[in-house]
Amino acid sequence: MKFGKRLKQQIQDSLPEWRDKFLSYKELKKLVKLISAAPTRRNESLEYGKAESDFVYLLDIEIDKFNGFFMEQEEEFVIRHENLKQKIKRVVDLWGPNGIHPSEENYKEEMEKIRKAIVDFHGEMVLLVNYSNINYTGLAKILKKYDKRTGGLLRLPFIQKVLVQPFFTTDIISNLVKECESIIDTVFPAEEAAERAKEAIVVAGEGIFRNTVKALLTMQEIRKGSSTESPFSLPPLNLPDSDLIQSIQLNAAVPIV
Amino acid sequence: MKAHPAKQLNNMGMSGALPSSLASLPPSLEDTYSKLSDSQPAFVENELTTRPFTHSSSSGVVGPMFSSSPGYSTDLHHSSLSPHDKQSKNTHFLSPTFGNIASLPLPYSSNNGPIPSTTPTHYSKGNSASWHADSLNSFLDLPTSTPIDSSQVESSACNIMASEDYSKQNNWQEWADQLISDDDTLTSNWNDILVDNIQDLEPKVPKSSSQFPAAHQQLPASSGENHVGATPSSSANSAPAKPRMRWTPELHEAFVDAVNQLGGSERATPKGVLKLMKVEGLTIYHVKSHLQKYRTARYRPESSEGSSEKKLGTIEEMPSLDLKTGIEITEALRMQMEVQKRLHEQLEIQRNLQLRIEEQGRYLQMMFEKQCKSGGIEPFKASSSAIDSTSGVSSDAMKDSPAKSEMEAIPVDLCSSGPHQANGNATAEKKSLEVSGKQDAPEDPKQLASESEDSGHPPKRPRTDE
Repeated sequence: MKFGKRLKQQIQDSLPEWRDKFLSYKELKKLVKLISAAPTRRNESLEYGKAESDFVYLLDIEIDKFNGFFMEQEEEFVIRHENLKQKIKRVVDLWGPNGIHPSEENYKEEMEKIRKAIVDFHGEMVLLVNYSNINYTGLAKILKKYDKRTGGLLRLPFIQKVLVQPFFTTDIISNLVKECESIIDTVFPAEEAAERAKEAIVVAGEGIFRNTVKALLTMQEIRKGSSTESPFSLPPLNLPDSDLIQSIQLNAAVPIV
Repeated sequence: MKAHPAKQLNNMGMSGALPSSLASLPPSLEDTYSKLSDSQPAFVENELTTRPFTHSSSSGVVGPMFSSSPGYSTDLHHSSLSPHDKQSKNTHFLSPTFGNIASLPLPYSSNNGPIPSTTPTHYSKGNSASWHADSLNSFLDLPTSTPIDSSQVESSACNIMASEDYSKQNNWQEWADQLISDDDTLTSNWNDILVDNIQDLEPKVPKSSSQFPAAHQQLPASSGENHVGATPSSSANSAPAKPRMRWTPELHEAFVDAVNQLGGSERATPKGVLKLMKVEGLTIYHVKSHLQKYRTARYRPESSEGSSEKKLGTIEEMPSLDLKTGIEITEALRMQMEVQKRLHEQLEIQRNLQLRIEEQGRYLQMMFEKQCKSGGIEPFKASSSAIDSTSGVSSDAMKDSPAKSEMEAIPVDLCSSGPHQANGNATAEKKSLEVSGKQDAPEDPKQLASESEDSGHPPKRPRTDE
């Protein structure tokens, strides 16, 4: 139930409109239990086959749900990315080194807004990738459970199919994320005053930042090592700055003045 | 309505669009399901009222249509249920249990059993299958005897049309025409796509996914994408099931160019944009929804960037930050960026690992299937040598022995013509599959394979550094 709890946590920590788009892990687990509890197992292949196709059907519905949501978000992100780039170009052209110099305040304000926008946008996209990953993990786990409890051989072929689904092929989004990261440099001032972030730990509070921190920590938890490690299991997460990240989360409750 | 969905399943055998596979679940399962079904109201009502299709009788030429992938034609199944109360009751079966999941009813393709030739006989009314052909024909003026792929086109087009009260009939005519005119590429792809087994999606999808980065927007890609990404009507979107287009940055760029050519997002019309873009497989529907999104996105940046910002609150809104200077805010942002970068990095690593794991699993499976065909103990000996050769394939994070133990178990399950012992111990081996490295089954095949393993290997895979 560890993953189930983690997933629930993730869902609660995610953006409100995303919350019903995640894998219905708990229900699927229940279904697996039901199916495995049925007296007729592989003996009566007909019955078993039907139960399996039911299960597959539900999984397919889930996958459709992921795909739909993912591609819609993706589309929006593609649009927003383009808009952002254009806006930055406008601002930089207008007020940048080559253009006219507006009042310090205006420029500062604009740049701040833009920076915040980029960082949040970046965060949202990363959260989408996280969404994709979490759902994939859930699917893999539920399939593993299914095979284990019903003695079926569903996992391997089914997961192959999942691997090529749109929601799992996150290349587009990943590219956008990387582009964002490079854009950031043009928008952020040079790092002269950049004391390392530890001194500027802000209240994460609500928002994208908090979500990404939580996502990272959750990921670490999920991969901590399970009772059913197998060749198909992922190794534990290796996060160099995990204490830093932990401290961010802890500070969330305490505003820093 | 809730009375005895389970029993009805039994009585009706298969009715309407329900495949025979659901007709007779084991009694225990049915009871359990029927209990669960009491918990939630029927969603089906909503769906039923919006699909005023009529029945007609003709040959069962479109029988196989029901066996196509659920994501695509479930709405048809919805429709076919409308006049049949009994059928709608059947759909209570699984759906109530899953609030989110099954907002769609059960009708779907049974991947296992044979369907096409036998379905017509199962239908209680006998006509629901054929209904599609006729009503679709009347909508789209296409010949009855068109092959299944075309009728699928019609059906999907018709489905969407009906749900929007025929207001977009012209568009769909256009779309259908467009699709039908490209006969060669189209039918082959439709055939690919509309085959029974969902598993067949796999060969199609890579074709389309691989074309994303290439910005190669030909029909195969789009229709593949459309099918793969078909959103069920249960999604949060306002519109019912629509074939989904995957908007790549390149595609979007072409879109923006077209829009700008037409004088901006306000002035551009979907039709104009569609014509300018000249992308095969792009429908006016796609363009329309994309244009809508584009327009709203342009408005928002004027005030704030992104919708979630407002909902979630910005840093500036926090009282404690009133005291913060610009530099500190910037630093905070930088830190946020770092965390996000980190998360993304890890996600990518994780994803790659997952891909490689499955790739390896598949490779091993394939290999053993091949080996098993040669039969005898040979497979296992040969596999041992293969183990050594594939060990190089393992990712850094994975040790060899887990792969080996995986390999030992796989052939046992998958070799149909494998050694007799293997078959007899299929279940036992399967269980050990889940526990990495456990060598409790002292069967000969296992021993053979384990010879090549490192001795004294600990049961659990040790922690690895990345």
